[in-house]
Amino acid sequence: MRQREREDYRSPTGGGGDAGGGLDHLRDQANRFLEAGDEAINRALANSDSEAFLRSNRQQGGE
Amino acid sequence: MSELSAPRLPKLTGGDIELGNFMLGLPGIDTGALASRALLAEIDGLPRPRAVSYTPYTGNWSSYHCEPSKSGGRDDRDTHTSGGWNPQDWGRKYLPTNGGCIYIDLDHLELCLPETLSAWDHAAAWHARLRIARRAMDSANARLPEGRSIQVLVNNSDGHGHSYGSHLNFLVTRRAWENIIRRKPHYLNTLAHLSCLLKVGVMQLALAMIEGERVNPALVLDDPLAALGAYSHDPTLRSRARLAAGGGATAVELQFLFLEEARRFAAEGGFEGFVPRAPEILDLWEDTLERLRAADWMGLAPKLDWVMKLMILRRTMSQRPSLTWDSPEIRHLDQVYASLDRGGLYWAYERSGFAARLLDEDRIRHFCSEPPADSRAWMRAMLLRTAHPEWVESVDWDSISFRVRDGGYWPSRRSIDMPNPSGMTAAEFAPLFAGEGGFSDLLDAIEAAAGGLGVEQRHQTVN
Repeated sequence: MRQREREDYRSPTGGGGDAGGGLDHLRDQANRFLEAGDEAINRALANSDSEAFLRSNRQQGGE
Repeated sequence: MSELSAPRLPKLTGGDIELGNFMLGLPGIDTGALASRALLAEIDGLPRPRAVSYTPYTGNWSSYHCEPSKSGGRDDRDTHTSGGWNPQDWGRKYLPTNGGCIYIDLDHLELCLPETLSAWDHAAAWHARLRIARRAMDSANARLPEGRSIQVLVNNSDGHGHSYGSHLNFLVTRRAWENIIRRKPHYLNTLAHLSCLLKVGVMQLALAMIEGERVNPALVLDDPLAALGAYSHDPTLRSRARLAAGGGATAVELQFLFLEEARRFAAEGGFEGFVPRAPEILDLWEDTLERLRAADWMGLAPKLDWVMKLMILRRTMSQRPSLTWDSPEIRHLDQVYASLDRGGLYWAYERSGFAARLLDEDRIRHFCSEPPADSRAWMRAMLLRTAHPEWVESVDWDSISFRVRDGGYWPSRRSIDMPNPSGMTAAEFAPLFAGEGGFSDLLDAIEAAAGGLGVEQRHQTVN
């Protein structure tokens, strides 16, 4: 997740997707994705202190 | 079934899920141990501890016994086997519901799946196990005072750049085992159904081909670990790795070459009887590779965790230009993606219908409360359900020992051995559990039936 060089994610209408779905289906799918994501992301960032969250998550690894 | 001469076995699978668990609201202290023990206490399993080191939170956090028993630093649940304190295997419980188990490794909960034969059952059992952990989280959180909450992430990081996910276990012949370099790698934990299926299913195919001695040496990487590092750090999929035979390949190109080999093996019937639903695994694998080759990210985002998460993080940064990959908010979202909490990003996409559901919901629910019928997990769960809990002396993957007190004055120590992971299934043994006798009678019947299958059992009177 550290690499940023690729910014060319295709637009929802230009990236293939379900072969039989057509453009409307892809737009609808993309909209659902974006709306669900925005809401969940906003909630996560609004309801929690990111730095405190990260400080609390200190695990010892495992076997 | 293929007529290959090398010995072969059905590709039975198991797996461990390492969770990240900690507590919000107690700044300044490491809370992994507290959180993991609180979670473990919420899950019923056997054998029962003889010295309980946990008491529920009663208002003062100091009363919460988060450390191992004070009596000499160990209790009888230190490890599932006899012996001393093992910080990487503490409090192990086997679940009468589905035959899997759960324990604490250092400071995090580790969930072990029951043995399953198909990749679909493995993935369903995987999600079922996460639901069990979520219920434990909810119950534990209900006991906490306001302002504190246990967080459970379906991944585990030490905060220093190292992450820990899961182990996968596969049944292989000794001959195949000796042909594979012994390693215990950590796989990335996955939530997306396709990711879960391909992770297990493609490995089943590969191992079946290794057992069938159908490994094409031309596809061997010159430096597999270096290749793994390069491939996994490159979401552009352009990195190339050297092959031992010369030349190089991207991760997708290399997988296409393996896919071709697997297709040929399938055409010869090589997977029949060894990998359930192999043709479907091959089709899903091929479709995924085609989409990766075509950079069809919108088609892949609902199906692969890494694509979905990458799109989430990129979108967040595009909407909030002040954020970078090093921002706490982005690192926070990276972890919250796999939070078991209902605020977990993956679950938001699943609820919205965006995340592709390839697993049958009824099958996931089934594995919350029932064992797989086609492995020894079935026998393990059924014995744990049938025995008086106090009689269960010790449990391990391949045996259960009881101190049975349903007869004479002295208890008798009985053990049921289950050396074959594919054995003692519902098809073979279910009728015995329908009998009306006592538990000793049931064990007698199992012993007799297992003896007929060549598995001798142990029986000893204790006095």
